[in-house]
Amino acid sequence: MSREPIGIVGVGQTPYRRSNPGLSAGELVKIAVDEALADAGLGIDAIGAVIGGVAPDALAGIKDIDRMSISVPGRPYFRVNTGGATGSSIVQAALAWIGAGRADTVLVVALERMGQASTAQSIFNTIFDPIYEKDFVLTTITMAALRASMLVKRHGFTEQHWAGIASRNFTNAVDNPLAIGARALTPEQVLASPMLAWPIHRYEACPTTEGACALVLSRAGVIGCAHSTAWIHGMGGSSDTYSMGERMNRPEGSLIEMVPLRRAAEAAYRQAGITDPGRQVRVFELQAPFSIIEAMAYPALGLCEVERSRPFVDEVLAGATGIEFNPSGGAQAVNPVSATALIRIAEAAQQARGLAGARQRDGVRRAVATGQGGATQFSTVCVLSADQPGD
Amino acid sequence: MNMPAEDLLRLPGSWNFDYTYFAGETASRFFAELRDNKRILGRRCPSCQRLVIPARSYCDACYVEMGDWEPVGETGTIEAFTILTRAFPGLPEPPLVIAFVTLDGADSAVLNFVEGVDLDDQDAAGAYLFDNDRVRVVFSEKREGRITDFHFESILG
Repeated sequence: MSREPIGIVGVGQTPYRRSNPGLSAGELVKIAVDEALADAGLGIDAIGAVIGGVAPDALAGIKDIDRMSISVPGRPYFRVNTGGATGSSIVQAALAWIGAGRADTVLVVALERMGQASTAQSIFNTIFDPIYEKDFVLTTITMAALRASMLVKRHGFTEQHWAGIASRNFTNAVDNPLAIGARALTPEQVLASPMLAWPIHRYEACPTTEGACALVLSRAGVIGCAHSTAWIHGMGGSSDTYSMGERMNRPEGSLIEMVPLRRAAEAAYRQAGITDPGRQVRVFELQAPFSIIEAMAYPALGLCEVERSRPFVDEVLAGATGIEFNPSGGAQAVNPVSATALIRIAEAAQQARGLAGARQRDGVRRAVATGQGGATQFSTVCVLSADQPGD
Repeated sequence: MNMPAEDLLRLPGSWNFDYTYFAGETASRFFAELRDNKRILGRRCPSCQRLVIPARSYCDACYVEMGDWEPVGETGTIEAFTILTRAFPGLPEPPLVIAFVTLDGADSAVLNFVEGVDLDDQDAAGAYLFDNDRVRVVFSEKREGRITDFHFESILG
């Protein structure tokens, strides 16, 4: 690419917990923004535009909650909503904004305030089609469970596979000081948890989480050469048909083949010059709030053939791939819906910069973060490295 | 600041609005056929040739207007299912089975409840549904022009 490289120069995250009765929405955002600006070594005056990310407002119970918490007076502001992919979609928007020469530096902020909701799954039912689908108890949980049945039938997955992936994610989260209340779980403990919707157990899903995440992105020309930067080497995004029934059986791939994620990965890898992701990417931070979604993502990310979905999970669980998945614990440990895909990019950026603390993995030349939203309708893939593109 | 938790203000709230959802002509005809003629009709895409159920006015994949109306069979195959085991406020009471079913002759799947499955043992019910994935359409006696005017019933294997 001949375009000027763009990098992440500041990362800010609140701790993630079920609810924050001690903080207003704006106060939550300010913690993340202050930290991101300090990390970037910039003041708010250096920010040319602010892009906010909030998914369903009803989770907070305040319509357009970003107006009171994210927009900054005197600057261009807009909000993006692609469900669970919202956080990564705002990074895509920032890349376009900077790439078009509209600003040198953009602040992206995602906020989740779902701890205020007493019935999150009833709210998630409202994202489905009221004419044809909503009557049938579709929620984010049943949506995942429907896919799990396809994975079992087509690939022979067992509950041990889901439990194994979940156990690794919850155990990794213990090293993440931002995942408040994280505790390691064995596969047996995962399987002993209550059934939410057969065959999905409680700990094969994600918790209710609040929090905010902010990133500062700049173009290469304004980044000091000494500043620790996670350069964006590739970013792909794709969308798919809304109706899950229409995605069930298609030549380009079934509902469990995550066609938009595959397309996003192909675009991002092409930009980044990645031809063998299994060998060229050390860390993946996956937006997979359910362990079954992580199993679906591996082939879509080019890590195995679709036919080898199950043996590949066996290899992952045996630690035989040389790839580190979700050092932070991923979206199963904390899943603040609006922010979760941005957290994946923040965590991958810190891995690339070598700033991930106790959860830092060694030899991270490249890290990849995914975003996933709207019943696997929206997908993004972002490739990050400490090496400046073109060097 | 470290205010004691009991001193933090917590205001009760709710968000209850009433709506009227507009289905449009194609979905309205789909429902009229269900209600008046106990028929399930879809429309075929003139570009990709898929017969889509429930009926749509345009093909989302090809972004062209759908063509002719065509009936599909009243038996079909389960593509994906789950057994609902946990109650959520405002949603139907478990245990229930929901499934995406491709009706014979259709090229997409339609979501509905599956009845006629013993749900006392969830693992056994799940295994049964993997082995017996054929269902038939059962129309309700009293139909009101809604997607709930029919459900699926497992065809015993």
